[in-house]
Amino acid sequence: MLKGHKETLISAVALVVALPLFAAPAGADNNPPLAPLGDPPIPADNPQTPEKIELGRMLFFDPRLGGDASTACSSCHNQEQGWGFSDDLSRGYPGTVHWRNSQTVINSAYYGKLFWVGAASSLERQAPSAAKGAVAGNGENDVMEARLAFIPEYREAFRSVFGDEWPKIGNAWRAIASFERTLVQTDTPLDRYLRGEEEALSEQQLRGKALFEGKANCIECHNGPMATDERYYNIGVPPAPRWEEDALAQITFRYEQYAKGVTEELYRFIKDDAGLYYRTKQKEDMGKFRTPSLRYTLYTAPYMHNGALWDLTEVVEFYNNGGGENEFGHNLSPLIRPLGLNDDEIEDLVAFLEAFSGPEIRMTVPELPAYQPLPDPAE
Amino acid sequence: MIRIEFRGLLKIGVTAAVGMMAALVPGAAEDFGPVPQIETNAAQVELGRRLFFDKRLSGDAAISCASCHDPARGFADGLPLSAAYPGSLGFRNTPTLINTAHRAAWFHDGRLGSNLNDVTREMITEDYMMNMDMRLMQERFKQDPVYVEMFEAAGYGEPSNGGARKAIPEFLKTLISRNSAFDRGELSPSEQSGFTIFAGVAGCGTCHSGPRFTDDRVYNTGVPDNPEIWRNPMRHTTFVAYAMFMGIENFMNIRRDPGAHVRGHAADGSDVGTFLTPTLRELTHTGPYMHNGVFATLEEVIDFYDAGGGDDPNKDRRLMPLGLSKQQRTDLVAFLRALSGDPLTGPEFVWQDPIPTEYDVIDDWRETPN
Repeated sequence: MLKGHKETLISAVALVVALPLFAAPAGADNNPPLAPLGDPPIPADNPQTPEKIELGRMLFFDPRLGGDASTACSSCHNQEQGWGFSDDLSRGYPGTVHWRNSQTVINSAYYGKLFWVGAASSLERQAPSAAKGAVAGNGENDVMEARLAFIPEYREAFRSVFGDEWPKIGNAWRAIASFERTLVQTDTPLDRYLRGEEEALSEQQLRGKALFEGKANCIECHNGPMATDERYYNIGVPPAPRWEEDALAQITFRYEQYAKGVTEELYRFIKDDAGLYYRTKQKEDMGKFRTPSLRYTLYTAPYMHNGALWDLTEVVEFYNNGGGENEFGHNLSPLIRPLGLNDDEIEDLVAFLEAFSGPEIRMTVPELPAYQPLPDPAE
Repeated sequence: MIRIEFRGLLKIGVTAAVGMMAALVPGAAEDFGPVPQIETNAAQVELGRRLFFDKRLSGDAAISCASCHDPARGFADGLPLSAAYPGSLGFRNTPTLINTAHRAAWFHDGRLGSNLNDVTREMITEDYMMNMDMRLMQERFKQDPVYVEMFEAAGYGEPSNGGARKAIPEFLKTLISRNSAFDRGELSPSEQSGFTIFAGVAGCGTCHSGPRFTDDRVYNTGVPDNPEIWRNPMRHTTFVAYAMFMGIENFMNIRRDPGAHVRGHAADGSDVGTFLTPTLRELTHTGPYMHNGVFATLEEVIDFYDAGGGDDPNKDRRLMPLGLSKQQRTDLVAFLRALSGDPLTGPEFVWQDPIPTEYDVIDDWRETPN
């Protein structure tokens, strides 16, 4: 299969070489192949236990881990919306709107870094950033930790799982991370096909797969078991339309520039999300975002870091047209150029993308234990 | 990061407060004059007044300064314990903001002794108060054309956190007691008798001195605990968050508000349970009383002092049973009521126009510098 893949790729390269300006970079055929997804890595300092996972599950759904006790992890990572949020920009904390699309939690366990520009190095670090950000959970450690102490079931669980005399907020994030490592999907039609179940993909999906690995060259970045190289590219996603239409989105846009510590000159004139630049402060990183996984995408529309594309067909058409335009054109990836797919090929490719998703993952929302007064130790 | 800044300021604040206190030696009866008015900048006051009533200054845009500091309730809230930010409830009584600009230290524990700029920041950013990231607040202001004009008119340039932290104190400077019977010199015989007792045998004037009837110092009078704080997890969690942040030892096990111990941290604990002397101005508008709202009426307060205060190992030794007669107690209450002036509820104190809860879109966004 690997050999065939290479041959297809070479013919795709031959096609695009005829186009002006850019040729495919050398070594493009070294991409790791698509592969079935195994078990997620478990960090040595946060092993999985059933009790910890169950605690994490409750905390994931508990809005008391947020500023005004209204916004849980599950508010923006809603299982009914693909464990993300079905709008271009995530809903954000009350009184705000977020500025990026909410990513699915499904299979987040496999990512080396979290968030659209890899700002968190682990799920344990992603959770507090989300719970505390002003346009996300807007919580503070002291209030959130204090609240946990007044829920007897949590006191008991933190003591049993972590040995905490009183629940420590840092351990809440560890428990949530453990729960998230159970939200995985390893038996999609594609997984089954790659494990040898040939009928798991339809004829159309197989044609789509050939395009994916060949003419459309998706495999260049969407490769390996997670269908992502976890690298950063500017593919020309246009700015979010809501920055022009929605006052709350305009407020948050400026807030993000301010909070991320850009220069005043950039703060004044930037009108798009500079992506990886906020982490590295290197001009060549402007407009770059991490390649997202294609797994579970059947349920996670809209797509791209700002939700600019509303269904998978739009996504394929976007690439087929050679990407879009944003104000960081100087960093546009040379891999992005018109693909020359016809309508049938677009349909085939979309059909194949659907094979990256199995059935929807749903669960019963846990019943959350109530606050109780703390007994006075002097009595 | 806001917190770190606060820690640094606290030290400076305490030093400044101590300096000011030295000048505020308990005054004689003739020192209890009207509270001096403060000169202000009209445009800055106007901006501060709008900000004060604007709910968009809180994290989830649910509460404004005026939610707890209600002009109709003497810029307090009429509750024993304050409401706080949604998701939390307070563990102390909301103090009046009338005459607050003359104070030497703020909050019942006096933990800020610098200026109202700091107090404003503390209230807006504290997670159980308004829970606002001020960077986001600034961008909300910039989205409101009315603020863009008002900040400019106030001389603050474009809308900013710094401007807001100046304008709100400027507005607070206008909240000065006026026209009480005491200030007009029109005390009834009973009120006059109450004043004599106040400044004389009852010794109230020892601490409740000066035009605001407070020396801005802290004392332990043995005010009884308010068990509601510990009974209600929504309040107790707030106390724990506060105690954790203020570096109070053993905070999960204590069931008593340590008060100004947070600013002195006396090693022998002798400052535990001390609280700032509150002003006696505007009491008719600002009950319930004490740092924890444990007394609903002024009669209860007078009875408390008549009995020599409460029960506390650190209680100030000067508090002794007073042995006041019923008439003396009645006169004292009458005098205290005579220290309340006109309610500050006119348009110069209350923002009149509706404040939008939504924002205008910047239409030519791409061409407008941020």
